[in-house]
Amino acid sequence: MSNKFIGKSVKRVEDKRFITGKGRYTDDIVLPGMTYAYILRSPYAHARIRSIDYSAAEAMQGVVTIMTGEEVGHYGVPCGWQVNFKNGDIMKEPPHPLLVKDKVRHVGDAVAMVVAETRELAQDAAEAIIIDYEVLSAITDASKAVLPGAPLVHDDVPNNICFDWEIGNPKAEVDEAMASAHHVTSLDFVNQRLSPNAMEPRSYIGQYDNVYDKYTLYTSTQNPHLIRLLMCAFVLGLPEHKVRVVGPDVGGGFGSKIYHYTEEALVTLASKKIGRPVKWTETRSEAFQTDAHGRDHVTHAEMGFDAQGNIVGLRIKTFANLGAYLSTFGTAVPTYLHGTLLQGLYTTPKIHLDMTCVFTHTTAVDAYRGAGRPEATFLLERLVDLAALEMGVDPAELRLKNFIPAFDGVTQPGYQTNVALQYDSGNYHSVLERGLEMLGYENFRKEQAEAAKTNKILGVGFSTYIEACGIAPSAVVGSLGARAGLYEVGQVRVQPTGKISVFTGAHSHGQGHETTFAQVVADRLGIPMEDVDIIHGDSDTVAFGMGTYGSRSLAVGGSAIVKSLDKIIEKGAKIAAHKLECSADDIEFKDGKFTVKGTDKSLSFGDIALTAYVPHVYPANLEPGLDFSSFYDPTNFTYPFGCHIAVVEIDKETGFTRVKRFIAVDDVGNVINPMIVDGQIHGGLAQGIGQALFEGVEFDENGQITNGSYMDYTMPRADDLPMFELDRQVTPCPHNPLGVKGAGEAGCIGSTPAVVNAVIDALWSAGHKVKDVRMPMTPERVWKAMQPA
Amino acid sequence: MELNGSYILPASTQKIWEMLMNPDTLAKVTPGISRLELESENVYKAIAEVKIGPVSGKFEGKAEVLHPVAAESFTLNVHQNSKIGNVSAHIKMHLKAVSEHETELSFAGKAHMSGLLARTGNRVMSGVANTLTKQFFQNFEDELAAKAEV
Amino acid sequence: MPKISLTVNGKTHTHEVEGRLLLVHYLRDTLGLTGTHVGCDTSSCGACTIHLDGKAIKSCSLLAAQADGSSITTIEGLAPDGELHPLQEGFKEEHGLQCGFCTPGMIMCAADLLSHNPDPSEQEIREGLEGNICRCTGYHNIVRAIQYAAQKSAVAV
Repeated sequence: MSNKFIGKSVKRVEDKRFITGKGRYTDDIVLPGMTYAYILRSPYAHARIRSIDYSAAEAMQGVVTIMTGEEVGHYGVPCGWQVNFKNGDIMKEPPHPLLVKDKVRHVGDAVAMVVAETRELAQDAAEAIIIDYEVLSAITDASKAVLPGAPLVHDDVPNNICFDWEIGNPKAEVDEAMASAHHVTSLDFVNQRLSPNAMEPRSYIGQYDNVYDKYTLYTSTQNPHLIRLLMCAFVLGLPEHKVRVVGPDVGGGFGSKIYHYTEEALVTLASKKIGRPVKWTETRSEAFQTDAHGRDHVTHAEMGFDAQGNIVGLRIKTFANLGAYLSTFGTAVPTYLHGTLLQGLYTTPKIHLDMTCVFTHTTAVDAYRGAGRPEATFLLERLVDLAALEMGVDPAELRLKNFIPAFDGVTQPGYQTNVALQYDSGNYHSVLERGLEMLGYENFRKEQAEAAKTNKILGVGFSTYIEACGIAPSAVVGSLGARAGLYEVGQVRVQPTGKISVFTGAHSHGQGHETTFAQVVADRLGIPMEDVDIIHGDSDTVAFGMGTYGSRSLAVGGSAIVKSLDKIIEKGAKIAAHKLECSADDIEFKDGKFTVKGTDKSLSFGDIALTAYVPHVYPANLEPGLDFSSFYDPTNFTYPFGCHIAVVEIDKETGFTRVKRFIAVDDVGNVINPMIVDGQIHGGLAQGIGQALFEGVEFDENGQITNGSYMDYTMPRADDLPMFELDRQVTPCPHNPLGVKGAGEAGCIGSTPAVVNAVIDALWSAGHKVKDVRMPMTPERVWKAMQPA
Repeated sequence: MELNGSYILPASTQKIWEMLMNPDTLAKVTPGISRLELESENVYKAIAEVKIGPVSGKFEGKAEVLHPVAAESFTLNVHQNSKIGNVSAHIKMHLKAVSEHETELSFAGKAHMSGLLARTGNRVMSGVANTLTKQFFQNFEDELAAKAEV
Repeated sequence: MPKISLTVNGKTHTHEVEGRLLLVHYLRDTLGLTGTHVGCDTSSCGACTIHLDGKAIKSCSLLAAQADGSSITTIEGLAPDGELHPLQEGFKEEHGLQCGFCTPGMIMCAADLLSHNPDPSEQEIREGLEGNICRCTGYHNIVRAIQYAAQKSAVAV
């Protein structure tokens, strides 16, 4: 153990290839004899396919093969999480075919795949395919899809309800608490649908090798092993040991590259069929139609308070839109990743969520950065801020009054919530107090009062959040319906010369694992970082893995590596003891040296590595070699938390809203690389602010996405955002060896309600007492909120 | 998308009606239409090239005249397909004599778009529709003037 | 098929290209310069930004045939082999990249910005990046990376 790298802002080792244009993303890969696929998609949200005529297309120049639902429609992609109805019935799980035979169910639903010599020829041929559609009426709003007479997405799913679900205290107890409340704040709102928009469009290459009867799939994925497992066991029935899945450099994921997509199986099938590699890369337009979307909740929420301002109850009714098909984790997001976070940071004694998950004629909805937890934070933090305005009390005071008291999870027990989880450790008051200090709260209120008289009004919005990360204890998620375990694998191979190859099942697509994991390994072994290589993303080199999502990589994947390091040090001590002629208990490992305690007799880590592989002088009964693999299955989720504060300025004439300041005080447990953690927070903040002010997928009444391009879907750009003001607090995670909690999603979870609350605060300061401005809060919507009713 | 409007044309209702029912004239005055062929009674095959905001494309499809009441009204059903998306429109047309030599032509209906058109064209679509409508009536007037000269 | 001849990163190339071939696809597929990325289909994201005759352009908005006779620099040619341009260094030092996909376009765009305005304010940098989208960094560290490069270049002069 040494202390040279952990906690330091070590510059990233992966950067060099990216800044010089040498990154290798899937679409950059060219294989000999490669062909190109184009997927013909439905232009309608709901239509019956009367006929498909591809005879002309098939005869066109350069066309290698054309596949339709007739050929592959019996294959379909699965859902990875079973959630049951309140009455115990199993959720409705209609098939999601690779290509549709009978009925298309959303704009972009795949109907045919053309494989040709070039991308352009494939597209030309696809355009010559004639499909006769009978257009049917479509439904896109989850709260309306359940009404009698709404068009059905799947004929055998009544009222389009996939399942209904509840969590919390018995409903009657919550009703009673609400009835006795002194004040009830209620809010109807839409947590709008977002498109994840990783900058690299999804890209896949299928390659079948008939010599070894082996398939290789290159895929822009967050979890190569999971894709291999799903595709082999649930989709194509291929032998898993004959399939290699590689996730090379991946240009961002944010959740959208977790899921097993139909196109991964399609290129795999096609490559076997034609005996050549098949590449498919989506266009951005296709990404808007087919990359799983996020959020899309329609909610009625109520929070009750007693006369002293203590929260007495929380009651919520939500319709969650799942889209037309179940994506891999689509069912878990509005339930176990959402309902379980409704305790927030508060001591709320009675909580009840009534959730209905609904099919609509839209793109599938699944986890997008935060996944269920931003929706939970949004409703809690909007309610608390609004309640403060309604009751005429200070929003920060109201929070401090209702926060759960600090607990470290070591000398004090974890905090048992009313919604299943047990928080590991927390100190919630201090992050808010630090945030207020950074803001200069008192001063701000004076500035605000002055600004209220001018054309540029000011508002401040608070958001204090908690999230459940480090996903997840397998037994817990298994009992809740997950169809997979959520442990991680970490293998550490010490080479004979003492250099280290680390194989991790986590996958880096921007998070910087090649750096942070190497920092951990180098410090634990007391060796230079250059001696450590982090290898990820290839199922043939990495034993197994569950991948990167749910802010889990370091907390779960890092812990698996630490377990292997412990085994290496333990074995190294035995080898050292033998060579130094003492007991292994007398060996101390520090700064890369095995030393006999209290002496200057020592052997370097390199000496021990060499001895392990050249075992001439070696303990009896000890295997040669120094290579350990470990599975780490966490005992609990981790619970990062923090306080986000937004200051906005609104132009009264135009409604244009500018984020003037954004303060974030996050507690993500121990920090290995502060620079990288800050970067993760920055990115999350931009996405969260994006939801509040800019982003949102819009559908017309026929289910067409009306803003499915970067000309129409507003992505946050550099001049839309301020420099962020960050600070950190550290409450270590008590149940993993690194004490880390996870930082990937925090920024995105806390920031959205802070911005909305700031806008509402500004509007109230100018006398416009509105409860909500629908997101994205465009200038038009904010301006309308300021006009007399 | 809603389509509404009216325009006063300097000719009798009978004359306007005849022109509207003549595929050659219609092809000439309708912006973007390059060919209009009579397929069967009241059903035309239509080929059009239109640039709508950021997207442009060649459309092929059918136009159908429904419920024609001579010199009074008819309904136009249009379904056009293209690589960039499909358009279907259902428009009611009314002719009303303003005077012996003047006719008010009004229309009301809805158009639905799909594909790239819906995704990237929607934002500018109503503006485009207005422009196309203006062009249509301008062309119609020009055609009337040309006919008068003959 | 039109025949084009152009200089890319100091090397002359002559090819027959399909009339509809976009410059970005010529660079990626014909020349194998995959550092220039395609992130959208509406010329909105800037991942494909390169320098054409010294000016930053989006290589998806030009046909290869239109680039005939021009001189092009891509991310691969921004600095001599083994060296880093101050901007490349700045992006590394200030953690101006995460997934790396938008990075080449960001760097090429920023290089153009600094060539016109060697000492830009924060606001000028943000406005200069208007045509480039990053989904990972929230732009905070990209702004700092460009400030780093501006400062470093000023010292060098």
